[in-house]
Amino acid sequence: MPMPSDHGARPPERHHAPGIKRRVAPVRAEATVHPVVVLVAAAAGAGLLTWFAAGRSKRLGSATAGRRFSPRGRAVTASAAQRLNHASTMLAASVLFDSGLEHYRGQFFNRAMYTPIIVSSVTLAASLHGAGDTDPGSSRVRHGVQALAGLTGLIGFGFHAYNVGKREGGYSFQNLFYSAPIGAPMALTLAGILGVVAERVRDADPGEPRLAGLPAGRALAVATAGMLAGTTLEAGLLHFRGAFQNPAMFVPVTLPPLAAALLVRAAAKPEGASQVGAKWGMWAVSAMGIGGVAFHAYGVARMMGGWDNWRQNLIDGPPLPAPPSFSGVALGGLAALELIERDRFRF
Amino acid sequence: MRIPGLGNAADNPRYVTPSDDPEHHPRARDGRAPNVMRIGEWVPMRQHRDEEEVDFAIVGTGAGGGTLACRLAEGGLSVVAFDAGPYFRPLEDFASDESHQSKLYWTDERIVDGENPLQMGSNNSGKAVGGSTVHYAMVALRFRPEWFKARTLMGYGADWPIDWREMWRYYDQVEDDLKISGPVNYPWGPHRRRYHRRAHEINAAAKVLARGAEAMGVSWTPTPLATVSAPHGDAPPCVYRGFCTLGCSTNAKQSVLVSYLPRALKAGAEIRDLAMVGRIETRNGRATGVHYFREGRWRFQRAKNVVVAGYAIETPRLLLNSANQEFPDGLANSTGLVGKNLMVQGNQAVWGVFDEEIRSYKGPPSLAISEHWNYDDKGYGPFAKDFFGGYSYMSQGPLPQLWANTQASAHGLWGEALMSEMQRYNHVAGLKVVSEYMPQERNRVTLSDVKDQYGLPVARVTYSWCDNDRALNRHALRFMREALSAAGGREVWDQADDTCHLNGTARMGADPRTSVVDADCRSWDIPNLYVCDGSVFPTVGGVNPSLTIQAVALRTADRVLAERRRPSA
Repeated sequence: MPMPSDHGARPPERHHAPGIKRRVAPVRAEATVHPVVVLVAAAAGAGLLTWFAAGRSKRLGSATAGRRFSPRGRAVTASAAQRLNHASTMLAASVLFDSGLEHYRGQFFNRAMYTPIIVSSVTLAASLHGAGDTDPGSSRVRHGVQALAGLTGLIGFGFHAYNVGKREGGYSFQNLFYSAPIGAPMALTLAGILGVVAERVRDADPGEPRLAGLPAGRALAVATAGMLAGTTLEAGLLHFRGAFQNPAMFVPVTLPPLAAALLVRAAAKPEGASQVGAKWGMWAVSAMGIGGVAFHAYGVARMMGGWDNWRQNLIDGPPLPAPPSFSGVALGGLAALELIERDRFRF
Repeated sequence: MRIPGLGNAADNPRYVTPSDDPEHHPRARDGRAPNVMRIGEWVPMRQHRDEEEVDFAIVGTGAGGGTLACRLAEGGLSVVAFDAGPYFRPLEDFASDESHQSKLYWTDERIVDGENPLQMGSNNSGKAVGGSTVHYAMVALRFRPEWFKARTLMGYGADWPIDWREMWRYYDQVEDDLKISGPVNYPWGPHRRRYHRRAHEINAAAKVLARGAEAMGVSWTPTPLATVSAPHGDAPPCVYRGFCTLGCSTNAKQSVLVSYLPRALKAGAEIRDLAMVGRIETRNGRATGVHYFREGRWRFQRAKNVVVAGYAIETPRLLLNSANQEFPDGLANSTGLVGKNLMVQGNQAVWGVFDEEIRSYKGPPSLAISEHWNYDDKGYGPFAKDFFGGYSYMSQGPLPQLWANTQASAHGLWGEALMSEMQRYNHVAGLKVVSEYMPQERNRVTLSDVKDQYGLPVARVTYSWCDNDRALNRHALRFMREALSAAGGREVWDQADDTCHLNGTARMGADPRTSVVDADCRSWDIPNLYVCDGSVFPTVGGVNPSLTIQAVALRTADRVLAERRRPSA
C-alpha cells in the first residue's frame, strides 16, 4: 500500500525562464450530466423502443391469425390477458424503482447492477403495451421481452445468492438481512412469467384456454398462489429484520398466505362455483400492496430526520416501491379467477 | 416536514443552538425538564421542597440510579434523583467533535496510585444526567450464569447472593426496555428470549473479527447493542454515525438519559441536574437525607430512604465522606469493606494494518464479539487456561483523535512517525478485550487530603494487578494477536495497558460480615440506605457491566416495592 508521506519523493521543482507564460492544465470538457440521468435516459429509451417494437410485431402477428372464435370466450381471454399485463406492469414498475433505489444505494458497485433497471424498463413498456391491447393474438416482441425478464430475474437471484454466501458467516440471518436481498430479483421473474402467460393466453383457444397442457385458469391460480407465498417469504424476512416493530408489519405475512390458500381452493372448486372469497382475497392483497407504500412512507418519516432528510431516508428506510409487488401478483390471481370462472368480471 | 410524534432531525436548520448553558445553569427546574426526544421541547416535572420528606433520594442518574428512579416512581413512590452533571439535550448539545464531547466525562480531580494506576476520566466515568450511559459503547451482555456463584462453582472471587435464574428474568426486562439489537441466536450461555431488535449490519472492522474467529475456530456473533436497529417510539434507528462513545446525537442509543429517565419524569420523579451530593445525614442509625450543592449553595433534602448510585469511585467517596459520630468510619462501613475490592476490567487491544480499507469508525465501535473465552474454562494447546476468569473481545472503531492519542501514548509514536502512521488510519483494525480481574482488598478507594471545587475530599484510587490478572492479560493478548494476524492483519502491535469499567467497592453478599449490602442492595448497617450501581458487584465477569447494573436496579426496585406492599408486622 503506498504511504503518502512528507518524506517521500517530491515532484521536481520547475524553473521558468522569465517571460514564458506558465502552462496551465488544458481545459477539459466534462459531461455535466449526472450518471444517473444517463441511466434513466437509457432505460426510458429502451422502454420506448420496446413499446414501438411491440406494436409493430403485433400488427404483423395478428395479420396471420385467421381463426375465429366465439366473441364471449375471446372477451374472457383478452380480458384475462390484459389483467395479466396489469400484473406484470405492476411488478415491473416495482422492480424498476426498487432495484433502481437499492442498486443506487449500492453505488452500482458491480456493473451487472445496471441490468435490472434496463430490463425492467423494457418489461414495463411491453407490459403496458399489452395492458392496452384488447385484440386477441400475441406479440412476439412482448413475448420475447417477458421471457428475457424471467431469465434476468433468475440470473439476478444467482448473483444475490452468491453475494449472501460469500460474506463472513455465510448463509446466516445476518447476511440474509443485510447483503443483497435474496428474493428481490425473483419479482422480475414473476413479472416475466405473468407477461409470458399473458401472451400465451392471448394465443390460447378461448373456448378452452390451456397453459402447458393444463387448464389455464387452474394452473395460473396455483402458480400465483406459489408466487404469493414466495413474496411473503421475502417480506417476512425483511420485516423480521425490522423486528416487526409496528404491528402493521404483520399484515404482509398473514394476509397473502390466506389469500393464496383461497386461490388454491378456488382452483380445486368445480366449474361454475362461486369464487367470491378468492376474489375478495386478491383484491385485499392488491389494496395491501398499495397501502404498504403509505406505511413505508410513514416508516421513512420515523428515520432520523424524517422526510426532511429524504435523500438519506428514502434509501435507508423501508423501500417505497417494494409493497406493490404484492399487488402485481394479486392481479395475476384475479386473471386466473377470471379464466376459471370463464366470465369476464369488472372487478 | 416534521410530523408530530415522529422522528426529528438533529441538524434541522430551523432550530438554533439553545442559548441556555446546561453546564452552568440547571435545566430541570420551574416544574419542567428537557424533553430529550424533541428539539426545544419540555416535559412537566413534579418538584419537591427540600423540607418535604420524599420516599427516595437517589444520588446518581446513570445505569443504576436512573433505572431505579424510573421503577420506583412508576411504583408510586416520590423520588428525587440528583446528578452532578448537566441535563443535556442530545439532539441539540452533542457535536461531532471529540474534544468538545469530553464534556460528558467526569474529569474532576482524582488521585491515582498503586502498581498499575488507573487512567480516570474518559471511558470509565461520566458526568451528565444519564451517567456514563450517555457515552458508553452500548454493549449489552449478560453474565455467564456460573459467575453468580464464582466462589462455589469456579473457585475464585465471591458468590453473588442472587440466583442467576432470577437475574435472567431482569435481563429479559431490561433488554425489552432498551430494545437491545442483537443476533437472532446468541451462541453462548443458556436459552434466552430473542432480542427485541435485530443485530446491526456489521462493519469491516467487525468482519475482521469474524474472519479471525473463524480462522481460530471460535464462535463470533454480531454484538448485542443498546442502539435500536428499527424505530422505537421517538428514537429513530441508528444511522451509524460512529460517535457513540462521545454522545449519540440522534437518540438511537438507548442511554438512561433517553430511555428510563423520560419514563421516570412521566411517573412523577424529580431530577435535579448540576446537583452534587456531598454528604448523607444520619440520625438514630437511619439516613435522614442528603446535603447537596446546587445553584451556588449547599442545601439539604429530607428523605425516608437514600440510594447511592455514583459508580465505584463516587459511591465509596460519598459513603466515606459521610462519616459522623454515629458512623465514624463512614456509612455502611462496619466491615471496613467500603472502598475495597475495586475491580476494573482489562481493556487491552491488538492493532494491525490491513491491505483493504477498513474505516473502523463507521457505526457503533463494537459490532462483533467473541465470548468464547468466557465460556471455555480449559482452553487448548498454547491457549490452555492457567488462570481464573474469562474475557470477551470485540472489534473496535477509534475516532481519529483517540487513535492519534493511542498512537502517541501506547505506541510511542511522535512527529514524523505519528503523522505517517495516521495516514494509515483507514486501514487499521483492532480487537479489544473486556476481561475479568480478580477482586482484591488492596485495590481501593480512599479519601485524600486534597479538596475539590465543592470543598469535598478528592478520592484516592489505588490499583494493582495480581498474578492472575497478568496471566489473563497474556492469554488474551496472545489469542487476539493470532486472530488478528489470521484475519490478514500486518504489523500487529499490543496496546497492553488499558482498563475500563469500575466495579466493586461496596460489594453485595449474603453475609453481613463480608459484604456491604445485601441482595436487595440495602446496607447491612443502615436499613434505609441503599447502594445501586456497579459498586455492588462481588465479581466483575468478562462482559461489559451496564446490563447487569440495570438488571440489579430493576430487581432492587421490585424488592423495595414488594416490601412496601407487604402489610407491616
